[in-house]
Amino acid sequence: MTEILLSAYVLVWPVIVAGVLFVLVRAFLREIREARKDGRPMI
Amino acid sequence: MQPMALGTTLTLLLLIAFFGITFVISLSIGKKQENADSYMTAGNNVGFGISAASMTATWIWAASLYASATSGYTYGLSGPIHYGLWGALMILFIYPFGKRIRSLAPRAHTLAEILHARHGQSSQLLLAGSNLLGSLLSLTSNFIAGGALISMMSPLSFSTGVLLIAGGVLLYTLWSGIRASMLTDFIQVCAMLGAVVIVVPMIFFAAGGSSIFVEGAQNLTAQQQSFFSSDAFFNQGAPFIAAVLAYAIGNQTIAQRLFAVREDMIKQTFVTATVGYGATVIGVGMLGVLALYIGIDPADGDVNNLIPQLAAGYLPLAFLCVFFIMIIGSLASTADSDLAAMSSIVMTDIYGRNIAGKTGAKPQLMLLIGRITMIVATGMAMYFASSRFDILDLLVLVGAIWGALVFPVIASFYWNKVNNTGFTISVLAALAVFTLVRTGWLPLEGTVAIVTDLLSVVGIGVIAGLMIFGFFGLRAGVAAVVLAMLITLPFALGFLHQYPVLTASLLAYAVSAILCVVLSWFNKDEFDFDRIARHAGQFDTQNT
Repeated sequence: MTEILLSAYVLVWPVIVAGVLFVLVRAFLREIREARKDGRPMI
Repeated sequence: MQPMALGTTLTLLLLIAFFGITFVISLSIGKKQENADSYMTAGNNVGFGISAASMTATWIWAASLYASATSGYTYGLSGPIHYGLWGALMILFIYPFGKRIRSLAPRAHTLAEILHARHGQSSQLLLAGSNLLGSLLSLTSNFIAGGALISMMSPLSFSTGVLLIAGGVLLYTLWSGIRASMLTDFIQVCAMLGAVVIVVPMIFFAAGGSSIFVEGAQNLTAQQQSFFSSDAFFNQGAPFIAAVLAYAIGNQTIAQRLFAVREDMIKQTFVTATVGYGATVIGVGMLGVLALYIGIDPADGDVNNLIPQLAAGYLPLAFLCVFFIMIIGSLASTADSDLAAMSSIVMTDIYGRNIAGKTGAKPQLMLLIGRITMIVATGMAMYFASSRFDILDLLVLVGAIWGALVFPVIASFYWNKVNNTGFTISVLAALAVFTLVRTGWLPLEGTVAIVTDLLSVVGIGVIAGLMIFGFFGLRAGVAAVVLAMLITLPFALGFLHQYPVLTASLLAYAVSAILCVVLSWFNKDEFDFDRIARHAGQFDTQNT
């Protein structure tokens, strides 16, 4: 039981990182689309 | 461990690919005629995706990945939490102050520039000077990390590694400043976060998976096996909590992104960066915990070798390349932000607001000054890197010095009675007390120890009060001060002075806060905050 909990403790962080990466990439792609639609630079 | 596992050709190919891609990306946004304001703030209108990625990438630097793993290796299970969580909260706790600062000065370039508008030259230069020093040390630290990594994983020398990293970063940041820094941060954060998602589980399973925790349990002390280790808290966590606000206030790279992001997206940017930073750094810190369970001894006795050792020992070549890019991405993203930050400070705080005066700043000359600053800073950081100073110790010292600035800076944005005299005296007095204690010139014994313990309790109250004040306002903040002091007083008396590093940081908060409040209380003049927006504005618009 302890080793399962400790394994989860080690592996939960890459899962959270994957979630953040998904949020960032999705927002970035949306901003690219909006910038192209409006004909303005992204930054 | 397999030293030089990548080989010269592969290392050079990876570096050329990494810096080549970032350079091409920076070319895509380059303008023949750059704008000085955009060079520093990217037009104050950057979207959430780029801003949050940039904030995350900037805050994650090579040293934080190494230090988190070291913390895991030294303090066990709770070690990475006591490094990564507090580092993440630095971003979160500065968010409410960031919103206030942005509302007061929507077009500002640096925090020090706002202080110039609020108080005048001495306050501005105190903050600008500490910002410059901090960024130079951070840049040096990243060059050292890059040189060390390259010399460890390839036959290339440390100096060649430093030269390659410094040249690569300068190449893509020089022309477009913060715009290039922020856009390339997105690619770098994808590389870093993607690598964490892959590398941490791969090493975990390659090292034996959950069986490590059974077979290696005898390698840990009781403190290392505890999630509530007092060792980890007092040696790692507590000094970090003391530095939470100081780093965010003293670090121009964060302020620069605060001025760049669209004003309505400040909250989600800071919250996402908090989660992204925390999970990434704690995740990499777990490698240190695994090393402890496995019973790995760091090569040459240097704990900074732990992560490369694990990577070289457990990852196949393709994933070793991914790991290499993760570390290069972390140090390049912070190094480019440091260059952009230093150029903005010299452009705005030294040239724009002081040498050129109110209306004399020439935007094109500012750009030239900014680019020269980047080149000079790169040269200086390379020189310091080649001397192999213990930069991390220096950076921790600078971070603690920033502690003296936190209360006066934040109070200046909310309380109209704080003036230049109160600001300057309180900061300088706090720095003096901090130096006396931190260097050991003032031994913490007898009556001195009692006084410093009492003042440290005030320091704890100030930190708790500021954190709560930012989110919930003045009454809650004052209540937090009183509550934190009452709770900690019985434990702190006769105890805290045994931790001089922590005591010195807490004294910096306490002395600066007490003096700033007392001196401001009796000041009869009241400042009109609307003046800040008028005096901390754009350079290009006012001159063209």
